Amino acid sequence: MIDHKYILGILFLLFAAGILLYAAYAGLILIFSLIIFGALSSFWKEKELKLLALAAIVLLAIVNMGVNGMKFGIDFSGGTRIPVILESPASQTTMGEMVDIIKKRASTFGLTEVKVRAVGESQINVEVPSGNPELISSVEDLLSHQGVFQGVVDGKTALGGDGILPGTIQGVPTAYLQGADWGVQFSVTRDGAEHFASTVQGKANYPLYMYLDRPTDAIVILTWEEASANLEIKDRQLAQSAFQKALVLDEGNITVYFYDEVDLSSLEPASNKTKAIVSDSLEEIVRSQLEAQGFTILVIEDEEISPHISQIGTGEFVVDKWQAVGLLSSPVLNPSVTVGTPSYGYIISGAADGVGQERQINAYNSAKSIESILKGGALPIQISIGSKTTIPAPLGEEFLRLSIIGLFLALIAISLFVSVRYRKTKILLPIIAISVSELIILLSILGSFTIDLAAMAGIIAAIGVGVDAQIVITDELLKKNQGTPHDRLENAFTIITTNVTVAIFAMLPLLFSGMVEIIGFAISTIMGSLLGLLISRPAYAALVGQIAED
Amino acid sequence: MIPNIYKGDYRLLTLIPLLLIVISIFMIPNLQFGVDFRGGTLVTLQLTGTLDTTALQEDLLSNGFDSEVNVFEGTVGTTAEIEVSQTDALIEADALKEQFNDLLDEVSFLEAQSYDDPAKEAEYQEKRAELNSIADRMFELAGLNTMAELQPNLNKLRTLFSDAYLQIYSLQTEKIMEIIDAHATYDSFSTETVSAALSLHFIDQAGTVVLYSAILSVILVFFFFRAPVPSAAVLVGAFSDIVIALGAMSLFGIPLSLPSFAALLMLVGFSLDTDILLTMRILKRKGDPRENAYDAMKTGVTMSFSAIVAFSALFALAMLTHIPTYYEISAVALAGLVGDLFATWGINAVMVLHYKEKRG
Repeated sequence: MIDHKYILGILFLLFAAGILLYAAYAGLILIFSLIIFGALSSFWKEKELKLLALAAIVLLAIVNMGVNGMKFGIDFSGGTRIPVILESPASQTTMGEMVDIIKKRASTFGLTEVKVRAVGESQINVEVPSGNPELISSVEDLLSHQGVFQGVVDGKTALGGDGILPGTIQGVPTAYLQGADWGVQFSVTRDGAEHFASTVQGKANYPLYMYLDRPTDAIVILTWEEASANLEIKDRQLAQSAFQKALVLDEGNITVYFYDEVDLSSLEPASNKTKAIVSDSLEEIVRSQLEAQGFTILVIEDEEISPHISQIGTGEFVVDKWQAVGLLSSPVLNPSVTVGTPSYGYIISGAADGVGQERQINAYNSAKSIESILKGGALPIQISIGSKTTIPAPLGEEFLRLSIIGLFLALIAISLFVSVRYRKTKILLPIIAISVSELIILLSILGSFTIDLAAMAGIIAAIGVGVDAQIVITDELLKKNQGTPHDRLENAFTIITTNVTVAIFAMLPLLFSGMVEIIGFAISTIMGSLLGLLISRPAYAALVGQIAED
Repeated sequence: MIPNIYKGDYRLLTLIPLLLIVISIFMIPNLQFGVDFRGGTLVTLQLTGTLDTTALQEDLLSNGFDSEVNVFEGTVGTTAEIEVSQTDALIEADALKEQFNDLLDEVSFLEAQSYDDPAKEAEYQEKRAELNSIADRMFELAGLNTMAELQPNLNKLRTLFSDAYLQIYSLQTEKIMEIIDAHATYDSFSTETVSAALSLHFIDQAGTVVLYSAILSVILVFFFFRAPVPSAAVLVGAFSDIVIALGAMSLFGIPLSLPSFAALLMLVGFSLDTDILLTMRILKRKGDPRENAYDAMKTGVTMSFSAIVAFSALFALAMLTHIPTYYEISAVALAGLVGDLFATWGINAVMVLHYKEKRG
């Protein structure tokens, strides 16, 4: 049966490669390999192949733990978790939008360590790997407050977030757009309208730089490679003049320095709160030097430090997106709004890239993004902040240490119990070997997601429940008067399959409930049952002769 | 080993589990709800000194906080858990916030319309007044010395409103911590606040989960057995198990929280496991049904005990660490597993044996 061995080997290599290359999906790949190998080893008749397939899964699990490590929840690693509850369930797209908005706003404030993830359809978890009360309150602030919107024209704030009436911001149907692909309409307050009209008078075809949470007192330091990453024409002068036009503002210019041009030691902060915005890849030593000079360092992800520049109708080059400074879009002022007469309703519209459906999707996304900026980065669905939990790091480590001891104690206690019950090494050794393999697989899979308290409790429970399948088969095999060993094995398998199906279905609603606090428990319980079916079953089928012919 | 308990008049076996169920039903009204489902604030302290729990409780009560205080000794030090019930101010603030958000978009839309269409002015003023009165009540609760009509525009009002809402929460936590500080010395603490809205959300979710789990279990059991009596017996077994577990929770003061809720659901699966094993062995095996029932019992009890061993390890760990998640899951599971021994082999086995012997 060389072919089967080949298949096994190729699959093993494929899965191993998957685990090594796509660390983010390692848990899912492992579950998938468990199902494939488990099914194959139930299906293949040859003893050694069954055992080989099982060994392959255990090996994959070990490789995954060794290479990708294990993730622990803040209960074990220390930190603070702030659950955000949505007031109505969100579709997958809306949920993605919300997570993105929170992430973007967090990174604008330099809070890059903050983890944001969707849980189910009505909750988002925000985790901060620290118990620092200041950091936590700034995250809470960020979640509970709107961002500050500023529309800047020629160095003056023409439109502030306060001037926009929040309930009036909405998309415009394409039929009313006169050729544009997307449009967003909004109304402004009486004061806002007058201010806008006077500020933009005579500024036809100027860009309206739309900022969200623009830093007031900051400098940007970046390399020319970073500055020109998204530029088609790599011309320093041209870029610099575009930067200057975008970043000038009465209330505080933002100055851009190129890392290779400027003598960093000559830079002086304007105040004791001046921020230096730098990218992730700037050397640590330079950062500490700037810090020593009195700057507050704000680290931005690499791709966000690079500005986007495009050429507008008048031939001018305009920065139309630069996340590092909160510049999110730069529509051009239509001459009709620059004549000086106040108007209460405005439309921002534009063209989208691509063709057919792709164009529609891009148009939709552009409109959504403009809506979100005008609303001050407000989330599409109302939220409330849930129960905040803080675990100090040393306490978390102690919890982890004790939990691992508990895990091994449970394993030893179960082994002792089984040996007292059966008193035969022939039965005992396979049961222990299988339990240990199941534990390794379970830890590896859950460690790829996150092991929190509930998951740990579930893993300890699974050691006890996982051995059930083995007890059912062993007892069935030991009954001499109930047909051939093969028949008895079939009986046992029927019971196990029924049990596993029922146990999994009873837990499934919990898995999909989005109750994040206990989802780890649901996963480990379900995985524990599944392992009985996919690991114990074929392993026993391979060892059946040994036990029954005693 | 245990003798075959199904040899004589096995109907008598139902007495013990029935008694347990009756006691449980009497106990269940005393079931406590955890912070997750009841709302409120849970403060956990790692103490470095002693704590006079009665004095703390009285002090909290005189400041309007209904509380419960527990102190545990463990390997990671002495832990105090102070659970403060939801206050009326927080419940009102949550309600106000919902009303405000519902009304805000409408008011802002009316404001825009009223610029172009003076006929809308009256309607706008009316709605705006309603919105202002909601905001004023929130400012009052937060102790802010301002009025909604003093705000220049809706955006400022909205910002101030959400500030006020947060203020109410942090004021309360601060006040609670201040009282605690007067009574206890500690080196670390954590707080967990569950708002009324969040606890309602959890109750809602839990209800949905129970409903779907029950429906799925019933469908699957009927699908596997395709006969009413054995199916009913299996479901009666699972149901008795949950009743006994709830009774034990009420008796030992284990609160119904998210973790213990998860443990209860797991018990349904576990209880169905032993019930299915028993039913299959009695109905499908050849030979004396009573012998088969006894054999099934040997296997089933072994299964239950291995689970009991694992959960005992978790329970021991809970005693050492005072991690509520561990304690609640293991205590509920242990109570349910013991209950399952009686329910499965006392009620379920008797029903299925009786059914098998009558049909021959």
